[in-house]
Amino acid sequence: MASLIEVEGVSQIFETREGKANWALWQVSLEIEAGEFVCLIGPSGCGKTTLLHLIAGFMKPSEGSVRFAGAPVGEPSPDRGVVFQEYALFGWMTARQNVEFGLRMRGMGRAERREKAREALARVGLERALERYPHELSGGMRQRVAVARALVNEPRVLLMDEPFAAVDAITRTTLQDDLVRLWQQTGVSVVFVTHNVDEAAFLAQRVVVMRPHPGSIKRSMNIDLPYPRQRSSAEFAQLYAHLGEALGE
Amino acid sequence: MAVDTSAAETTHRVELETAFLDGRHRARRRLFLLRAGLNLCGVALFLLAWESVPWLFPSINPVLFPTPSLVFATFWPMLTSGEIPVNIAVSVRRAATGFLLATVLGIAAGVFTARSRLTEYLTEPLLHGFRSVPVIALVPLSVLWFGIGEGAKVALVATGAFFPIWIATFIGVRDVNLVYLRSAACLGAGPLATMFLVVLPAALPLILAGLRQSMAISLIVLVAAELSGATSGVAYMMSMGHQLFRVDIMFIGLLLLGTLGFAFDRLFVWLTRRLFPWYVN
Ligand SMILES: Nc1ncnc2c1ncn2[C@@H]1O[C@H](COP(=O)(O)OP(=O)(O)O)[C@@H](O)[C@H]1O
Ligand SMILES: [Mg+2]
Repeated sequence: MASLIEVEGVSQIFETREGKANWALWQVSLEIEAGEFVCLIGPSGCGKTTLLHLIAGFMKPSEGSVRFAGAPVGEPSPDRGVVFQEYALFGWMTARQNVEFGLRMRGMGRAERREKAREALARVGLERALERYPHELSGGMRQRVAVARALVNEPRVLLMDEPFAAVDAITRTTLQDDLVRLWQQTGVSVVFVTHNVDEAAFLAQRVVVMRPHPGSIKRSMNIDLPYPRQRSSAEFAQLYAHLGEALGE
Repeated sequence: MAVDTSAAETTHRVELETAFLDGRHRARRRLFLLRAGLNLCGVALFLLAWESVPWLFPSINPVLFPTPSLVFATFWPMLTSGEIPVNIAVSVRRAATGFLLATVLGIAAGVFTARSRLTEYLTEPLLHGFRSVPVIALVPLSVLWFGIGEGAKVALVATGAFFPIWIATFIGVRDVNLVYLRSAACLGAGPLATMFLVVLPAALPLILAGLRQSMAISLIVLVAAELSGATSGVAYMMSMGHQLFRVDIMFIGLLLLGTLGFAFDRLFVWLTRRLFPWYVN
């Protein structure tokens, strides 16, 4: 059977501010299985966001093909939930209304979607913030709402672009714990972009290391450590060092 | 820990909290009263200074510069006879009709022109050309074409108020954050839902700023239109005062216009807060 996501020989070209051609990605191939948790890691500018956006369907590759569930990726769809790096919640809607948005677009009735949104927010520990506006929430809470907003549509993959980069270190570890739990509960695939070695080591079943100029995949490493991972364990320290080396090579 | 201590501790805590909140409440109240009191004092001082002008400068002609008591003596009978309320009502209706018309047309035009390159580039030079013309310059033309009827005045107000709303909506819609559009697309929103539930709310801060500016412009254009030919209205009353050499009536007009402008601005801010609780400047 084919993989859930198939990226084949994908290149993406952009124009720089000086009017030169810039290959954000050069002949990248990658396959991601259903239910897999993959981290894309690499220094900034190596094309992580570009790759994620191609899978989401925000743009078409200059060359090569991106397939999702056997079909070429077209327009963005609720099948592929996205959690953005910056805050993308609708500021004019409460947490509940944000989470209900996708359900509303599907034409689900008011009572049913209210209940679903409540459940989805409860799953990320925000049952008490239902009627709050994003500006009344902390950075970590906003990203929880963003995760709930994507997951409530029962996507087959969750595409996350450095979602926890802007929150403090303590909140970040709890968000990571919760993400692993949600991933295990729902069985969704996760493609998680980060430039943080610790985060990749803690989360991923597979780490895809990328390099810039032009953006390409350096290597792909499977991680066998069971969940939940212990940061204090010797295996984790070893893994951390190993990933750090792969990144620095 | 013993039950007694924790109960005592809770009582103590509640006492502290009550005292603290009471104190805050009293302080806020004091501040409010202080502010209202000083506001009134400011107005009173201004009136007092104005009233004392004839004593301080005896050479000033009280007919050309009447004191507040003289102005009030004229104002009161005009108010109770219904003359002033009628003129206010007429002016407010003209300004409000023109402004509402401009709001609908301006937002529609802004959305329409920002939606595609074609309409944007096509209307760009016209938009910027027309909006650079002060609407007051159109008043004589309007009188020539449409006379001095209600429709002509409303149309002038609407024209003046239209451009700031168009520009603001256009910029707000065109420059809406890409991440909102992408979020909407990922969540399965079609073009209509994206426009009404995402783009317009995202552009709202700019649209509101445009509306507020247009409100001020509406009043200016209204006055210009009424001064250049009308049979009722606050500014008409002033031009009557001018012809009758009644500076006191002209002063009444100025005070009314100031009050109206101020009241509508407050009303706008209040409505914004009520309608858009999530909108914090
Ligand atoms: N919309 C764009 N226009 C021009 N250049 C872009 C655009 N998006 C990305 N790039 C360039 O492509 C390269 C990869 O960017 P990106 O995918 O954002 O990297 P990363 O997410 O790994 O930091 C960078 O050199 C960046 O400047
Ligand atoms: Mg990035």
